[in-house]
Amino acid sequence: MKPAPFAYERPRDVASALAAMAGDGVVKVMAGGQSLGPMLNLRLVAPDTIVDITGLAELKHVEVAGEELVIGACVTHADIEDGRIPDVTRGAMQRVASAIAYRAVRNRGTIGGSLSHADPSADWVSTFAALCATLSLRSAKGARLVAMKDFMLGALESVLQPGEMLEAVRVPVMSPSARWGYVKSCRKTGEFAHAIGAVLIDPEAGRARVVIGAVEAAPIIVDNAEELFGGRITNDFKSRFDARVADTLLSKAGMSDAADRHIHVTILRRAVAEAAA
Amino acid sequence: MNSVELTVNTRAVKRDVEPRTSLADLMRDTLDLTGTHLGCEHGVCGACTILVDGVPTRSCITYAVACDGADVTTIEGLDDDEIATELRAAFTREHALQCGYCTPGMLVSARDLVKRLPDADEKQIRIGMSGNLCRCTGYVGIVRAVQSVITERRARDIAPEPDGGRKVLGPAGSGHKACVSSQKLMPAQPAVSEPAAAVAPLDIPDFTPSTTLEQKFTVAHAPAKVFALFDDIAAVASCLPGATLVGTPRPERVEGAIRVKIGPISANFNGAARVERDEANLSGRILGIGSDQRSRSTTQGEIRYRLVPQDDGAATRVELSIGYSLTGMLAQVGRSGLVRDLAGRLVAEFAGNLDRRLSGDVTSAPSAAADLNGVSLILGLLRERATNVVRRLTGRGGSA
Repeated sequence: MKPAPFAYERPRDVASALAAMAGDGVVKVMAGGQSLGPMLNLRLVAPDTIVDITGLAELKHVEVAGEELVIGACVTHADIEDGRIPDVTRGAMQRVASAIAYRAVRNRGTIGGSLSHADPSADWVSTFAALCATLSLRSAKGARLVAMKDFMLGALESVLQPGEMLEAVRVPVMSPSARWGYVKSCRKTGEFAHAIGAVLIDPEAGRARVVIGAVEAAPIIVDNAEELFGGRITNDFKSRFDARVADTLLSKAGMSDAADRHIHVTILRRAVAEAAA
Repeated sequence: MNSVELTVNTRAVKRDVEPRTSLADLMRDTLDLTGTHLGCEHGVCGACTILVDGVPTRSCITYAVACDGADVTTIEGLDDDEIATELRAAFTREHALQCGYCTPGMLVSARDLVKRLPDADEKQIRIGMSGNLCRCTGYVGIVRAVQSVITERRARDIAPEPDGGRKVLGPAGSGHKACVSSQKLMPAQPAVSEPAAAVAPLDIPDFTPSTTLEQKFTVAHAPAKVFALFDDIAAVASCLPGATLVGTPRPERVEGAIRVKIGPISANFNGAARVERDEANLSGRILGIGSDQRSRSTTQGEIRYRLVPQDDGAATRVELSIGYSLTGMLAQVGRSGLVRDLAGRLVAEFAGNLDRRLSGDVTSAPSAAADLNGVSLILGLLRERATNVVRRLTGRGGSA
């Protein structure tokens, strides 16, 4: 239960962090270490070097730029929960943050670390997909933007390339007419979710974005979810929600267990109900 | 050994530590502050919860080097703390402890809740204390104790502090020694080298897979040709991402290794396999067993295949059924679904490679030692595939 020995580097800025990542052997970036720490202790991961990026002021920077909130990768769940950063999602992110794991974990766990770890059950993976967020990735070659919906490839696998790190999350300002719903099912409070439903529904614009998360793979993202609501998004979307369509979506995604599908559909229905409330 | 400076219970402390030393181990083993308890050592049980920069953190998954310059308070440092004193009295009154093992962590988390919660709502207290496990007393007394302290303090007009007193961004404990120069701390001893390859097991036992994945695809080749490929062990192995063979393969015994990677976890299963064929039914199976020394895990796997002639024998439908079981540390992560997702992707890539190989596209075949690293690889391979192949992939991996 003690990690294998590793070397430790705490760079002074992003550029030197990227240089450190290009070092010899297996190099792993660590932020709050709330996902990596357990894996190190269990020796499931034994890197040669850990690059600690929590000292980098650039990664704790937050600003509203135009129609987006740009959040540095090393901002913690508790920072969001406590409202230490501005909010453009009318409280949606704050509510999600407050239910991640436990307070002691939220005080160190970061949004960037959580997304980079790409655990299908992580709250931000589904939340940012539903909020249409974009991720800013940086490597020695420069920066690139990737939509959250395209970021995850599978369980613990993302488009992050070797030598590339997540720098910031860009969250668009939520429209005043948009309705938000987020529900997860955990066997024990704070443990990994077994099902996540995240919906952003804008009846005025006739648009709905639906995310079914914690499917042990990349989340199922329905960009334009009209089919889930009988063809069009109106103010009565709650009563128009078609559970059979959701069940078919899950079947098509390879979820063969009817009980698993039932839990996911139920959680999604609750998320829709929350958005309508 | 590397130097770390901390303020521990208001006392300045400077110690040499290994980078892998957790804050909990530094407190207990070096500073003799054994009031901090270690339960699970992977952030689940909450026994090690201490205050870093005034807020609760898990000291078992927080490394001391990462908190250089931080302010640390352990249970020993809360002797004269007003809230902790009230909580100790309430814990005693409400029988909120029995063996006492979880109590230091309970008190630290409870103190934080007393500060932050606006009122003594039982549900909120239970949620707030859910990250601290008690295995003997139960939670009724603990919840009552926390409730009573919150109620008393609010009655005394002591306002809640929703942010627990934290005003700066970033992980608690970080940012104090934001380096003026990059520093590299070396471990006390060199990192362990890759363990020597395990000896392949003598027996390749039959087993019942705990998970089975199905794949089907159709290739524009006669069944006999496809069946011949399955007889070529080296060819089949080259289609399996991460697989390498050792020595000369014989049907009754093939030795080799398969390297798999799931996020930051990688495992190298060394083992052996045997091959069975049923010529009359154009079917067969490959059965193997392997173990990974680093994670002390063992996997058993089988690839069953059945070939069905299509278009009067001009084409063949390949039906694969791939089953596996996993035991040991890797299986104990408790997240079998993650392994299943990886297996699904492996199987999809294996099917794609077989399909390409059968189509005669060997030039762009991946090297046998290539690790599976993300679906991008699979997608890239599928995109490259020869266009004259009629393919149909079904199942979860195929939709990846």
